Amino acid sequence: MKSINLYEGPQHQWIMFGRDKNKPDSIIDSNQYMVRTANRCLLLDPGGYELFAPMMAAVLHHASVEQITDLFASHQDPDVISSLSLWDQALPHAKLHAPKIWEGFLRHYGCESIEYVPIADNGGSLKLEAIELQFIPAHYLHSSGNFHVYDPEAKILMSGDIGAALEPGGTPLFVDDFEAHTEKMRYFHQRWMPSNPAKKTWIERVRKLDIEILAPQHGRMFKGEDVKRFLDWFDALQVGMAV
Amino acid sequence: MNHQTKTQFIAVASITSELTAVISISKEISLAAANAKAIAFRAGDKARGFQPITDFINDLAKEMIQNIEVINELATSLCRITIKEYRKTEAFNKFELITTTCGSAAHAHSMQKPLADAEVIVQNCQLQFKRDVAMLMDHLDTVTQHAKTAGIIATYSRIEASQAGEYLQSLQTVSKSVDNAAQKIHDHVQRCIITLSQFGSANK
Repeated sequence: MKSINLYEGPQHQWIMFGRDKNKPDSIIDSNQYMVRTANRCLLLDPGGYELFAPMMAAVLHHASVEQITDLFASHQDPDVISSLSLWDQALPHAKLHAPKIWEGFLRHYGCESIEYVPIADNGGSLKLEAIELQFIPAHYLHSSGNFHVYDPEAKILMSGDIGAALEPGGTPLFVDDFEAHTEKMRYFHQRWMPSNPAKKTWIERVRKLDIEILAPQHGRMFKGEDVKRFLDWFDALQVGMAV
Repeated sequence: MNHQTKTQFIAVASITSELTAVISISKEISLAAANAKAIAFRAGDKARGFQPITDFINDLAKEMIQNIEVINELATSLCRITIKEYRKTEAFNKFELITTTCGSAAHAHSMQKPLADAEVIVQNCQLQFKRDVAMLMDHLDTVTQHAKTAGIIATYSRIEASQAGEYLQSLQTVSKSVDNAAQKIHDHVQRCIITLSQFGSANK
């Protein structure tokens, strides 16, 4: 599994993991993220059961098992957190930050030792040593209990399934031709995102944030002007097409 | 899934199925006892010796049902432990894979503790499985004894029935059904014991 440094600041760094060459073709590719401070690490949407071993092996290049203190699950999907039972055994003292409404459901994956820290519907924050990350509500995009993670210092928004694209493996890490890329995102957003009002609310909320990198859970990330281009494109897109 | 786990799943499923049959047959015995009691009551003095036997058969059937219910709970517990062992073994295998694939990683050594802990958990699951199998075997032995007792009672009841005059045929039918049921229970329980005997120290 590849890993790339997205941000290196005085207090912390962001690392993205993905594009695993050995991933079975039958499962969707996903991006995992890590926020690392001097002594602590947060893994964001650490991935599915099948990806646990390559993900952990990749993580060990950047942090020790004891340093991984926190996990975040944007929502309940298997590609996000079905590896929970394995993390639970590897990191018995860690905390899982995840939507409050999914606690009883997520525990079905196996969560005996890790502490479940529920995120209330209106969001919250997580202090990781000197830095503070914000949990931004993104309900109904696509899950009914859904959060993104914003880092005001690194100006990174980890945006879960928003901005995701369905592409074959080995694609570049960043969008290089926005117009061409929209065709790779259109169906995913129209079919998976159920609510136009929820989409409008989220866009309004996110436009107020200073974002340098929009980092989705699948496909390429958006950088600089492409972040604004994405928000404009998404704003104009009608979603919930299956009804 | 490794061979041992598969065998455990199959064994637990098999004995659960056998035990369901045993409960059903025990209820048949209970019904036969009630039927015999009614006939013996009608027969009056002619079946005086038969009446206490019917109570005894009924009590025995109830005890068997209670025992099978305990055995069923133990079988459910075995199923739970097998699932836990499977999941923990999966974790151990993945941890082992990580330690072999991340050799050059700066923090590779930190996987050693989770790996060692996972191994202990798997071993504990295996021990727990064997302990529960041993307990289950004890209960199965008790049911075997009950089935044997029911067979002996069926023989006594046939002797008593021979003195019941016009009720002879009805009471002999009851005795025969108790005898058949006892034999069936014995066979089902023996199959459970044979199935469980493959798990090492649980052998009795």
